[in-house]
Amino acid sequence: MTVRKRLLGVLADAALILYFVFALFPIAWMVILSLKPANQLFSTYFSFTPTLGSYRTVLGDSEGIPFVRFFVNSLVVSVGAVALSLLVGLPAAYASARWRFKGSENLMFTLLSFRFAPELTVIIPLFVLYQKLGLFDTYVGMIWVLQLVTLPLIVWIMRSYFADLTPELEQAALLDGYTRKQAFFKVALPLVKPGVAAVSLLAFIFAWNNFVFPLILTSNEAQTVTVGALSFLGGDRPKYNLTAAAALVSVVPPLLLALTIQRYLVRGLSFGAVKS
Amino acid sequence: MTELELRDLRKTYRSRGRPPVTAVRGLDLTLRSGELLGLLGPSGCGKSTTLRMIAGLETVTDGDILVAGKSVTALPAQARNIGVAFENYALYPPLTVAENLAFGLRARRGGDRREVAGKVADMAARVDLTPLLDSHPATLSSGQKQRVCLARALIREPDVLLLDEPLSHLDAAQRDTTRRELKRIQRDLGHTTILVTHDQEEALSLADRIAVMRDGVIQQLGTPYEIYDSPANLFVADFVGEPAINLLPAVADEDAHARLSGSVRVALPVPVPPGREIVVGIRPEDLSLTGAEGLPARVVAHEPLLEAGIATLALAGVERPLVVLTGPEVRLSHDEAVRVTADARLTHVFDAETGDSLR
Repeated sequence: MTVRKRLLGVLADAALILYFVFALFPIAWMVILSLKPANQLFSTYFSFTPTLGSYRTVLGDSEGIPFVRFFVNSLVVSVGAVALSLLVGLPAAYASARWRFKGSENLMFTLLSFRFAPELTVIIPLFVLYQKLGLFDTYVGMIWVLQLVTLPLIVWIMRSYFADLTPELEQAALLDGYTRKQAFFKVALPLVKPGVAAVSLLAFIFAWNNFVFPLILTSNEAQTVTVGALSFLGGDRPKYNLTAAAALVSVVPPLLLALTIQRYLVRGLSFGAVKS
Repeated sequence: MTELELRDLRKTYRSRGRPPVTAVRGLDLTLRSGELLGLLGPSGCGKSTTLRMIAGLETVTDGDILVAGKSVTALPAQARNIGVAFENYALYPPLTVAENLAFGLRARRGGDRREVAGKVADMAARVDLTPLLDSHPATLSSGQKQRVCLARALIREPDVLLLDEPLSHLDAAQRDTTRRELKRIQRDLGHTTILVTHDQEEALSLADRIAVMRDGVIQQLGTPYEIYDSPANLFVADFVGEPAINLLPAVADEDAHARLSGSVRVALPVPVPPGREIVVGIRPEDLSLTGAEGLPARVVAHEPLLEAGIATLALAGVERPLVVLTGPEVRLSHDEAVRVTADARLTHVFDAETGDSLR
């Protein structure tokens, strides 16, 4: 019995290690790639002289590619997109959770359809529109188009948070003499804070990782890291080490954010399931 | 203090593509100052809609609501000064009991801290919450939450107090104590109060008068005794009383009797024209098995409940079973032959077609 149990344990560990390698190998490869000097890039053995040169190049704005600017662009555009979505989406989510009005369900479905339609279906008309409107390669343009990504997410998730709150809490506040607006800000909103934290993080990650919109709708000024990291592959010789370093640098903000608000995240994601 | 009057109050819900639903059809009610009126009815009878219209949480389709003689129908909830103790308590989870009470006060007078604190302490003392002021709602029992909820509604000194099923979430022991508390507090402070409930026990024990409601219409308005002793129609008779009244279809017969079947006749309190289709109502507690006379019946079942028993009998040729409340000493066995007597003075007669009382 004990032998069998131990054997099973060993097998389970082996399987886990196998999965671990499978899951982490691409990341390990990227790390190795980013630390290799340019002349050893294509060697298949693991012994090489590690160097931070790639990072220095990427962050140091050499090779004519302003990666730091792309990085700042990504921050501005993602934070801006989430902020705008919260500003518009929280009241929208609250309204759609509390009141059924003419066409409210259709409106919500339309919003959701932005998420399941591939971005490529609208990208060409958008490109033409942006060119004509002067939104091409601007922060405003990027923040605006990213609403397609962040707004449906925020509205739909926050809607279910608000729906889970019993309306009597706000009604009691109304009876006390608070206005509708105060009832929203003082009663409803504080109770869904964990949800706001969780959904903001998700929206930020989706905005940060978006590739198609910055690829087509920016060229330089407002270009983001997802597209920017690939520019190291262009030119006469693809510089895989620089791409790897850029990609790894661009993972940092979402990762840091996720770690810092992890506490809220766990609470936020389980909040909706437990009705008070 | 304050009188509350409802004049021909109506509520119709209209939604596109569906026929309009009328929840309240022409309610007329006047509450004397300080009176506690029970609005009693099954779910969907319009009692909650009525409460929400009075509070201002629901628009009024037609009619008028007057508080102290002044119409509040057009005012929003914020401007009405009506206190509501919600069924689910509606306490704010992140705040302590004291903060919950203060929250309601802060809305109107931006909040002089000392004044607010004084009022909170005052109200807490009145409803025995002083030791719990620093607790959070989640840690309280249902009975305590109910008291906080009540205190929250009362602390603003509302003109009218509305209680929505105040005892429905309490267990049996807490129900009794909370009911007594509720009655004492309402008497002390003298608020004009409407209690909405589907539980007859709650209404009978707390209310000065009861309005029994069905399908948006008040069926009968009266003191608990009036409702119980002389129900206006079949619905009220059936809805009030536990165990429920025996309602037996019958045909009126000569000399103020009713014929339940070929051989079974019961005496009626009033003469009814012979041949008329009627329903005879006899409360289980008004039937007795002790007499030697009376109608022959067979015992179908007997549930001894210690302080009383409930016997189910079958009368010869009568389809409906007859339920009798027996004394604690009564022992009955299945299929036993008994004689059951009814007091004609306590018997109710209803028209079979309209359901109205013929007494």
